[in-house]
Amino acid sequence: MSSIKEYLTNDHRRCDDVFAKMEEQAHNSLLDAKELTQEFVADMERHFQMEERVMFPEFETKTGMTMGPTEMMRQEHSQMRNLMSQLLEAIENDDKDKFFGLSETLMILLQQHNMKEEQMLYTMAQQHLSAEADRIVEMMDSLIVE
Amino acid sequence: MDFNGLSIDQAPPILAPLRFFITAPIFGILAGVLLLFSDSATLMSRYSIDAIVVAHLITIGVFGSIMLGALTQMLPVLASANIPKVKTVATFSHAALLLGLFSMAFGLEMSNTLLLWLASLLLGSGFLVIIGSMLYAIKGVQHFTASIKGMLVSLIFAFMIVLMGVYLLYGYGENDVTELHYIVANIHSVWAVFGFAGILIIGVAFQVLPMFYVAPRFKQFCKRRVVLLISTGLLIWMVLSIFAEEYALYAKLWIATFFWAFATTVWIKFNKRKRPVSDVTVWYWRAASLFLTLGSFLWIYDEFFKHEYIVMVGILIGGGFILSIMLGMLYKIVPFLVWFHLNALGYMTIPTMNEMINKNLSRLQFVLFILSLVGFVFSFYMPGFLMPSSLSFIVSMAILEYNILAPVWIYRATRKKKPDFDMSAFSMT
Repeated sequence: MSSIKEYLTNDHRRCDDVFAKMEEQAHNSLLDAKELTQEFVADMERHFQMEERVMFPEFETKTGMTMGPTEMMRQEHSQMRNLMSQLLEAIENDDKDKFFGLSETLMILLQQHNMKEEQMLYTMAQQHLSAEADRIVEMMDSLIVE
Repeated sequence: MDFNGLSIDQAPPILAPLRFFITAPIFGILAGVLLLFSDSATLMSRYSIDAIVVAHLITIGVFGSIMLGALTQMLPVLASANIPKVKTVATFSHAALLLGLFSMAFGLEMSNTLLLWLASLLLGSGFLVIIGSMLYAIKGVQHFTASIKGMLVSLIFAFMIVLMGVYLLYGYGENDVTELHYIVANIHSVWAVFGFAGILIIGVAFQVLPMFYVAPRFKQFCKRRVVLLISTGLLIWMVLSIFAEEYALYAKLWIATFFWAFATTVWIKFNKRKRPVSDVTVWYWRAASLFLTLGSFLWIYDEFFKHEYIVMVGILIGGGFILSIMLGMLYKIVPFLVWFHLNALGYMTIPTMNEMINKNLSRLQFVLFILSLVGFVFSFYMPGFLMPSSLSFIVSMAILEYNILAPVWIYRATRKKKPDFDMSAFSMT
């Protein structure tokens, strides 16, 4: 079983790949990109929930920090959720300029968010939760998105 | 455990990096105006006063500023390294560098000792305060990635070249230009280009290319060794150029090979990137990689022609490589900063990054910039090219200024309105 850091980092890269495919499809035809955009949004939502419903609470319980870095990450998740809902709206309105404006903004926000998680939070989580890592990864793996 | 850098509250205030970006194109315009009124024969000599002034308006005023501004923003995000008292440090250093640069330009052009002393003091303190604060911030970093190592090494080179620069200015002030002066000037310029700017760009590229363009990652060998190998090359080159100049070429070959390899790698990575988006920032990376390739070869070639082409090397590498990367980066970083800060303040209905800068204007700016560089290179053989190239450069810098100010105006106008959501409930303080 992989570590928490490895598991969530790999999931970031997987989302990046779906993002790139989504943009490529949107480049050709925005309406045809609807399915890939929905897939990307669903993958992201799953990732957010793995963190918000499993990893963050475990981390908070262990360290006692409920208003620390995890809270900041939740705030950035909500910024991204907002952008993603606008992304789907842009497809409905067939507005290509809006779509790429949003995707560019989302991409940079997402990458700097990932960087903070991968370099700081996941490393800390791995250190604090190493004994329970297998169980936590399994819980995240079997999560059913709400 | 240090949690700094994980919060918007810890992100530097928007004006800390922005102030550096806003003034950068102004120095580009000034350099262009000076070029317009200079004689092309004078500019051929790297040690002519006009050439030195133009070079420093660009290196300190434009790309030095952009690099410091970008580092102010990137260190907390990339490295969780928070610069202590960032607002004060950025305000002080920015003001000292601006005034110092004006003093230097006028001091050199008018051979005014007092202004040159003032310039050494202001430029020295302006640079050392911000570089020192950044090095101090990096000291606390626990997880060193390849990018952070690149930034660290680049800042150490920056520290050294500033000390050399202060010595050189002092020499002009005292009218005491000895043989040592030229040796130091040579090291100062090569370390500035390859050590400070070059290594910084390589370090940042390790992170930025895979992230923002979903390009393939750099190989572990590149990430682990290249910065070390280049730094060693620069140190060996310095020793050789002082004590055994006839062998300095080998060290140059070593350095140029790595930069040429980097240029090629960047080109290939962009070919293999997964994001199809091709905006002006991609064009700038592509242009930088072409100019760096030409510049690296010419730098070696120049060795066999009594350094006849050294100013041309400066145009290709300084303008074509370093400046291109800096300008491309500005087109991403400025709109993002504005979007990020507004969004974090609770403004939800704001323009996206792409809507903040007019696409056609950024393309026009790029074309004029590249034309001016090509024109500058040709003006070595055809002096008539100097005037149109300078004009093209001035206009491109003026458009750049507008393109940077457009998002800043959006920021100011939006701040006057009420946020869509009150985010103060999320505030940590």
